[in-house]
Amino acid sequence: MSDLAAGKDELRDTDLSDAELSARLAKTWGTARGIIGALSTVDHKIIGRRYIFTAIFFLFLGGLAAIVMRLQLARPENQLIGPDLYNQIFTMHGTTMMFLFGVPIGEAFAVYLVPLMVGTRNIAFPRLNAYSYYVYLAGGLMVWFAFMLNTGPDAGWFSYVPLSGPENAPGKRVDFWAQMITFTEVSGLAVAVQVIVTVFKQRAPGMTLDRIPLFVWAELINAFIIVFSLPAVVTASAMLMMDRLVGTHFFNPAEGGDALLYQHLFWFFGHPEVYIIFIPATGWVSAIVVTFSRRQAFGYLPLVLSMISVGFLSFGLWVHHMFTTGLPQLGASFFTASSMLIAIPNGIQIFCWIATLWDGRPVFRTPLLFVIGFFFIFVLGGLSGIMLASVPLDTQVHDTYFVVAHFHYVLIGGNVFPLLGAVYYWFPKFTGRMMSERLGKWNFWLAFVGFNLAFFPMHITGLMGMPRRVYTYQPEMGWSTYNLLSTIGALVLFVSFVVFLYNMIASARRGPLAGDNPWDAGTLEWATASPPPPQNFNRIPFVINREPLWAEREKLPVATGLAVEKRELVVTTISEARADLRESSPEPSIWPLLAAIATTIAFVGSIFTPWAVVWGGLLVAFTLVGWFWPKNNKEDEA
Amino acid sequence: MRALWLFPLAVLLLTACEREKREFRPPQMSGETDEEITLSSISAGSSPPTQRTSGKGQEYEDNAYHISQGQKLYHWFNCNGCHANGGGDSGPALMDDRWIYGGSIENIVQTIREGRPNGMPSFRGKIPDDQIWEIAAYVRSMGRYTPKTASPGRRDAMSPGPAEQRRPPAEMHQGGMIPPSAQMPQ
Repeated sequence: MSDLAAGKDELRDTDLSDAELSARLAKTWGTARGIIGALSTVDHKIIGRRYIFTAIFFLFLGGLAAIVMRLQLARPENQLIGPDLYNQIFTMHGTTMMFLFGVPIGEAFAVYLVPLMVGTRNIAFPRLNAYSYYVYLAGGLMVWFAFMLNTGPDAGWFSYVPLSGPENAPGKRVDFWAQMITFTEVSGLAVAVQVIVTVFKQRAPGMTLDRIPLFVWAELINAFIIVFSLPAVVTASAMLMMDRLVGTHFFNPAEGGDALLYQHLFWFFGHPEVYIIFIPATGWVSAIVVTFSRRQAFGYLPLVLSMISVGFLSFGLWVHHMFTTGLPQLGASFFTASSMLIAIPNGIQIFCWIATLWDGRPVFRTPLLFVIGFFFIFVLGGLSGIMLASVPLDTQVHDTYFVVAHFHYVLIGGNVFPLLGAVYYWFPKFTGRMMSERLGKWNFWLAFVGFNLAFFPMHITGLMGMPRRVYTYQPEMGWSTYNLLSTIGALVLFVSFVVFLYNMIASARRGPLAGDNPWDAGTLEWATASPPPPQNFNRIPFVINREPLWAEREKLPVATGLAVEKRELVVTTISEARADLRESSPEPSIWPLLAAIATTIAFVGSIFTPWAVVWGGLLVAFTLVGWFWPKNNKEDEA
Repeated sequence: MRALWLFPLAVLLLTACEREKREFRPPQMSGETDEEITLSSISAGSSPPTQRTSGKGQEYEDNAYHISQGQKLYHWFNCNGCHANGGGDSGPALMDDRWIYGGSIENIVQTIREGRPNGMPSFRGKIPDDQIWEIAAYVRSMGRYTPKTASPGRRDAMSPGPAEQRRPPAEMHQGGMIPPSAQMPQ
């Protein structure tokens, strides 16, 4: 591509017929064959697919850990797994679900869908995108390999000091946890930056701020939350590592450190984290509700504003996780108020979605079923959330199964149910084939019944005083029946996931062909083939409506004039989305993989010696030099 | 491709991690280990001294959990009352390279269990046997005779010096010096 003579006229998309344009663009934007080609790809769809697959893989691993825990707790004084393994398993469950599934799954969908929905050809910084995936994968595998070597973290998914400090958590277990955080951070921040830039600068011409699909708004807000919250936990985990490895005293009160500082830093990330998990789900729900109720979203503006205000408020209520640490009363009251306040924007969202369904003509396919399940479960979790926001009640049920019940209602209700709906909804776009409706219905009802059977009794065991994170309990406590019910529910929920897995595999092979737009949806990702070609769109769509495919049923207006022989896309202005520049998009490169390997060596090495930061840093610097080495092609001139 | 799956499995089998093993509930009534250990490395005749050890020492020395428990017990049983943080006070230093009564973990276990002349009391019957082993493993870590990855980090207390895992590994000198308590005429 670099040999295009500067003076010669470039081939533009106006010069070619549709079929030839499509073939040539596919060649320009395609991924090379072979293992090297696969590893150097920068196609957001390929990387997004890997991201989604990996995140769901970790969802299953985390789920298996949960099943082992539930089997252990099925009856009192059970001897299935000992206390040590139980500690590791509940920590791995929480860690995996929060850091290796919850954060990445929202970003994974963003990587795949945001460029398609805003009508561009690739995500911004596509090489960074490849790098972030490899780093994420390496971090997840690292912590699970450590677990298999009996070095799994065992101090809870939040790893509070002093329990996780050098005195009380010997060995390398917690170090692997802390370093896994660093991996997730690096990859999470990278994707967040890509999403922000893609949404701000690469929207199709005409997609003004009020025409951005709600899903894209959700991912944008999510990306901002990630950018502002993750640095707090990087700080916390880096300080923890240094305390443990180098002997610093950040969290050592005897030398002037502060153990509570860790909780503040962690929850300043940890509470927005809950919304990092939830906000992409509001995007999925919005997309599904709009498509299946056959009308535009009721209250688009309130929906967007409530998402933004959830994003802001999420940074103002982290202390409600710390009500029992001995806060000043004014602080406790303030955070009670702010915790209750966040119910308002969430309530607005729920009412807007219900109004959309009410006014539309809802079609009850599987994706919408999961959304209905989400309403039910998430609202119930929100109600127990309001209860927990008040200090007197929180003080009573702190660290009991009531809290476990609450956050599984909001997290599974608020993320996993919409996720299952989203997979059913976008599966035809990802693979070109429909998932089975019959199995989908089975999947939904098993999940819904199993979930409520598993987690509703936990409210009661919690109120009866059963503490979290215990590996067994005595028969005299009277918790046995409820625990058995929970275990049975967990098994039913697990079966629903087996059905889901089978449905995905079977449908990917033999499902009926989907066509471009099987649900007759309105957003731009349905304007292209399923699965989309490497270039996404032959000609960049020109957007004149919030649901472009509903406004222009026959043929989308397009913007033309892009080069065909090199990777070029349209950069638009932030608010009005006026076409501004033609900008080249990076070519595939193997260097992101090498940089990710170097990063992994540096991070894993620094579990064992602080010097790894030095020589590992040099290694990473070397790969970055290779990555950014000028190659004198068009891309670098732009 | 299939061989790729064998790789992690092989890693698992080869490195089943002893460093991290934790026994939260050791047998309540475990008997004393019966080590036959000498204080001297020389013996009459050509063969080295006859010794018999249970192998428990290695297990405790290489295990981060045992050493860390030993660190707690060291303070809970007031070892620091005489030996301070290992630098020695009325009792001899533990973090240096001189060992009056032998520096192997079996020697140290014997020293704690039986006591030694000039002030070291016997703890037999006062400290459960596996806890004696844990304390001995911690004492070994003070001079960094234990692996770096298993040695403890700093405590949540005032730090007299770098944590055990930050110290350079020591060499051992058997029977080097007279204990401070024996130096002064009584």
